[in-house]
Amino acid sequence: MRNFYAAMRGLLHAVLLGLLGAGIVHIAVLLLVPEFSERDAWSRLSMASDLYRMTRLDAEAGGAPVVKSVDPLFYATACRFDLGEGMVRVKAPGHVPFWSVSVYDRSGHNIYSFNDHTATGGVLDAVVLTPAQMIEVRKDLPEDLQGAIFVEAPIEEGIFVIRAFVPDDSWKPIVSRFFEQSSCELQDF
Amino acid sequence: MGGSPPLPSWNTPHPTELRSATFSRKGRRESRLQFNIVPLATRAHAAISPSGNSSCSRPLMLKNAFLTLLSLAIAIVGGGGSVWYALKVQDGVGAIRIGQWTAFPDIGTPSADPYSKARVAREGVLALGRAEGLSFVAERDTAGAELKRECTYTIEGGFPTARFWTLYAADQSLGVVENGKPRLAALQSYGVVRQADNSVIISAGHHPMPGNWLLTDGFGRMYFVLTFYDTPIASSTGLSDVSLPHIVKVGCNA
Repeated sequence: MRNFYAAMRGLLHAVLLGLLGAGIVHIAVLLLVPEFSERDAWSRLSMASDLYRMTRLDAEAGGAPVVKSVDPLFYATACRFDLGEGMVRVKAPGHVPFWSVSVYDRSGHNIYSFNDHTATGGVLDAVVLTPAQMIEVRKDLPEDLQGAIFVEAPIEEGIFVIRAFVPDDSWKPIVSRFFEQSSCELQDF
Repeated sequence: MGGSPPLPSWNTPHPTELRSATFSRKGRRESRLQFNIVPLATRAHAAISPSGNSSCSRPLMLKNAFLTLLSLAIAIVGGGGSVWYALKVQDGVGAIRIGQWTAFPDIGTPSADPYSKARVAREGVLALGRAEGLSFVAERDTAGAELKRECTYTIEGGFPTARFWTLYAADQSLGVVENGKPRLAALQSYGVVRQADNSVIISAGHHPMPGNWLLTDGFGRMYFVLTFYDTPIASSTGLSDVSLPHIVKVGCNA
């Protein structure tokens, strides 16, 4: 009888220990998921295209959408960049009803966003750079960067996303052309 | 040696007698004492050890191994499973509810909670930025019933300030409902008919309806996703006194 009680107590202790361990594992797994995920936006994009290459995120361009749940009335395009190689400049000439831009870090966190009301004349011309590069650029601002929006981001790798509103079917070719003309390039300075 | 009678004699022939003697004189009291001192981690061993440190070691080892394995199994399966479940359920930490609508203003920002961060990483979401807009998802109507694709709903009420908004019917993965027709299951504010007081009445269903018709199709669960673009409510202070339209079920043609 005493053995039985001892065994039950042992079992109870083991279960309690297990639950305590489950709590620890829960926290550890939760914090490690972002580190080791192979399904995050960066990984999906890197499977689809190279650095500094604009890639359509919506399904309209053919194939499954790269990043899920994009508003069906929106088109979106993205390019990956690495500020360790230099600052990146994104331009898209032309006018669409609404565009907005987000800069994400490597793990998909939104660091900075703006829309066409922020830009000079509603034209998308943005430079993403690190604070250190910003200091260098400020010393002698080149003529063609005067109207650009500077996004200071304390990151190395990141994703630049442009979203544009497609109010109805007649706008589809216009928005598509807006994206085709967009560029994402490493800027020498 | 011979002058101290309380000690058990090592010459005692019967093994059971020897054990009972050591147990009653020493082991018991000591094990009692142990129970109060040792921390939780070693108590499992203490609880099962007093009867036989010396003799029956093999079944004890098995028992210990079993209990250790049990603890590990509970820890790993329970820990992993609970994370998986927490990331699977639709609403979670950091949600803001307004009527039937749920939004995650913090999702995808560096200040998001660890659950949102894990969800973002696992699902490859690129969440809308604050300057872009804010998305609300509804999964139930005003009566509290789940939204069904085979049912007809009326969405009516005022919409908060924004440059424009879009509304679409979504499936489980929050992608737009596929209806196989040229018309998308989506509406936007530049293309809706408004009432005299600037409010909007939208009818969602399989069959064409007068006014604003949101085409849905198929069977099963449905979500409505309402996104406001370039809106002041995306900043957290603006969310306190926002009212969003109601979703009322009209009927089901199941």
